[in-house]
Amino acid sequence: MKFFRSPQATPYLLLMPAIIVILAVVLVPLLVSFWTSFTSYNLVRPDSLYNFVGLRNYKRLWGNEDFWWAFGRTVVFITIALNLEMLMGLGLALLVNRITWGQRTLRTIMMFPMMFSPILVGFQFKYLFNDSVGLVNNALFSLGLITKPIPWLVDGFLANFSIIVAEMWMSTSIFAILLMAGLLAMPKDPIEAAKVDGCNALQVFRHITLPFLMPFIWIAMTIRSLDVARAYDMVKIMTNGGPAGRTELIWTLMTRTGYQNSQMGMANAMGYVSILLSIAFTIMFYRNLSKARVFMGGAQ
Amino acid sequence: MLRLTLFVAMMILVVPGAWVVLTAFRPNVEVMARPPVWIPQQWTLNNFLGIFGFLPDRQQGLPVPSYFINSMVISLTSTFVAILVGMMGGYAFARYRFKGKGALFLSFMLSRTVPGVALSLPLFILWSKIGLIDTKFGLILVYMAINIPFTIWLTDGFFRQIPADLSEAAQIDGCTRWQAFWKVEFPLARSGLASAGIFAFLTAWNEFALASQLTRTTASKTMPVGLMDFTAQFTVDWTGMSAMAVLIIIPALILTFIVQKHLIAGLTFGGVKG
Amino acid sequence: MAEVHLSKVVKRYGSLEVVHGIDLEVAHNEFVVLVGPSGCGKSTTLRMIAGLEEISDGELKIGDRVVNSLPPRSRNISMVFQSYALYPHMTVRENLGFGLKIAGMKPEDIIPRVDEASAILGLEKFMDRLPANLSGGQRQRVAMGRAIVRHPDVFLFDEPLSNLDAKLRGQMRVEIKKLHQRVKTTVIYVTHDQVEAMTLADRIVIMRDGYVEQVGTPTDVFENPANTFVAGFIGSPPMNQLEGVVENGGARLTDGTLVQMPEDIASKLSDGAKVVIGFRPDAFAPKGHSLHPEDRSLEIALPVIISEPLGTETIIYTQLGGKEVQAKMLDPHPLQDGESLTFTLDLERLHVFDGETGKSMRA
Repeated sequence: MKFFRSPQATPYLLLMPAIIVILAVVLVPLLVSFWTSFTSYNLVRPDSLYNFVGLRNYKRLWGNEDFWWAFGRTVVFITIALNLEMLMGLGLALLVNRITWGQRTLRTIMMFPMMFSPILVGFQFKYLFNDSVGLVNNALFSLGLITKPIPWLVDGFLANFSIIVAEMWMSTSIFAILLMAGLLAMPKDPIEAAKVDGCNALQVFRHITLPFLMPFIWIAMTIRSLDVARAYDMVKIMTNGGPAGRTELIWTLMTRTGYQNSQMGMANAMGYVSILLSIAFTIMFYRNLSKARVFMGGAQ
Repeated sequence: MLRLTLFVAMMILVVPGAWVVLTAFRPNVEVMARPPVWIPQQWTLNNFLGIFGFLPDRQQGLPVPSYFINSMVISLTSTFVAILVGMMGGYAFARYRFKGKGALFLSFMLSRTVPGVALSLPLFILWSKIGLIDTKFGLILVYMAINIPFTIWLTDGFFRQIPADLSEAAQIDGCTRWQAFWKVEFPLARSGLASAGIFAFLTAWNEFALASQLTRTTASKTMPVGLMDFTAQFTVDWTGMSAMAVLIIIPALILTFIVQKHLIAGLTFGGVKG
Repeated sequence: MAEVHLSKVVKRYGSLEVVHGIDLEVAHNEFVVLVGPSGCGKSTTLRMIAGLEEISDGELKIGDRVVNSLPPRSRNISMVFQSYALYPHMTVRENLGFGLKIAGMKPEDIIPRVDEASAILGLEKFMDRLPANLSGGQRQRVAMGRAIVRHPDVFLFDEPLSNLDAKLRGQMRVEIKKLHQRVKTTVIYVTHDQVEAMTLADRIVIMRDGYVEQVGTPTDVFENPANTFVAGFIGSPPMNQLEGVVENGGARLTDGTLVQMPEDIASKLSDGAKVVIGFRPDAFAPKGHSLHPEDRSLEIALPVIISEPLGTETIIYTQLGGKEVQAKMLDPHPLQDGESLTFTLDLERLHVFDGETGKSMRA
């Protein structure tokens, strides 16, 4: 008790409420879901919560083709989306950076997609890509490029394409804005030194600008990896995993298994896989961020 | 060439959203029209009146006002508490040296990596057991937990920008540590805290994955969950949904513009300066 | 009225002890400077006096009160920080009056006090500006003004001049000295700059690695350094220090030169003992260009390695006892590098230190 009144206790006391909330709303549920993933828990049979089945759920997942498709699709989706967003964001940042007028306005426009909740982005693209009333098909018709509607969200390949487009629309600007902040913070001296040393524009970018931007790129990646699972909202409203499971991601499969099929035990096992997946991405980016910081000589 | 590329890029960013806004103000016949009507010919507010149930001939008398109030109450309350709790945490990280600091900070950040969907499963089980399903309080708790780690990250950065000398000078000038915080450090961090607050508000306001599972009725359903009501029917009501979308965007739009500068500074500062 | 007594004051961070039992008495109205290289514990000591760091062990008294467990606000002290720590969201006037306001003083009582301080420091024209719109020197003045309005018992300064450029630092040094004459208060001042210490202090406390090496008046520590550390730290250019072995009342340097030591010291040493002899560059000069009477000097012919003309004097770098040493040439004429000169070393002003402990043999 005496400890709590000593000055050393102050930081712990300050952190106490935060710790309690996180324990109650994140850690305890995670323990519950960990336990549940080893039971045959079914929502319609509450007593099955105590029916321990060991690794059965995980074994079944291991042999479940649908799950592996969803898992693989999720990894590919995250990889493609994040990399394309980063490249487009970098391009956009460099583009805007070269413009000397109206940067504020341009940046404000770039903030625009960031205000949209993922569910709205999903709805918006569901509407744009709708085969009968969607803007995309209407425009293509009007330009005379097509004669019959393209089934954007019905065809498996096109549906995945549409989802990636929606995802990129939502998140490219986050990269662009963070990278612009990086470009803004960049000292001019090294660039001028490099020019004096005989570098051309491309070499300056490759050897000076890009290494300086790397920490910013990794921050953007880390921040993004924290909420890649937002894509769930988007996919949920756009295709809900359809057609015929062709756009099923691990997150949509999980909720379908848990809430519609009531197989909570199995769903929680998937949940654990998805949590590990998220953590793996975050840690990967974070480690790169730390490395890039060291590379910058600790000047930051 | 440069300007053209830029123009196209900006159009791509603006047009999808603008199209939804236009749709919210046009009658349904224009949406269905062929050939398509690009600029609305008849501007109308019927879509908004419709979703609020003022037009008896249109069947979607959805409880949008309840959803709106739920969203507001839940977002505002959870934001207020998350900022208060997160500020205390951020201050502790910025100003004190203590055992387990690094590990604790990492744990907070890791707790943020857990996807909302994955967390919704056990929360659904737990909240059912203790009667928090379909209550505003249940969702407020969850949003607090989601926002606290990020608030800690942001406020830690803001407080570290304020030299520790200032609080010490205030204490020498006769303040208690508590007074020194409120009279010197808090006023200086205020704008940063405001932007952290807006960020937390937006996260709660826009959240769908958890809300869709933890709410059931008008007692707690939020706007993003309400949006799904329009697709529950066989046909999609595009104009009604667009009107609802506009209602969701407006608060987000206003708030984002207010904080854009701080937000960017906060994100990059916390990350790069380490 | 306030004296400050430190007795056996210790600071520990966990198991690491950084200040090892300091004893110090500061008299009323005395100006004491804590000086030493960075990491010597001087700032930590000051912060313990201020109440910003907990005192791990020992006793601190201000006036008649033991203040160990009192928070800063109850110690009736004020402090000027290295960074000035002006409140950026308050005007100069608000900065100055903040402490009085916190103390619950009425606005009409605050105004004359603030006006008095601003008049002393010449801040009248800047009263409604924010700190961001002031120059470095002006900020420094506001920081001092904030300290004096409260009429504290003790004034603490933590390297207040180190953020200023050399010229301004010189000016402010004089102003601080004038301020102390005017506002008679006990002052404890921390700096790493020995010039500041010498010029400002009534007494200097030289610290190293958490220990007090010597306490004394500026003349005292300059003329009679207690050990090789103090000898090297105080004075610019620093004292030359050469190792030698005692032989017939003299010190034999590594290059064979024999330097005769003063009688009283030589009598304490037996042959073969290791010593360090020290002499300031002022006591070592080319023949005919010295301050000291040259008949009591040792004459040595040495080559000029490099010379730095400073106008009224020239610093000459040469080699003696296997080490580079500096000599000061008064009334100089141009020198050639490599030129050989006869130097005279004033044996009366020779310092001798124990070769093992570094302690002065004078004590």
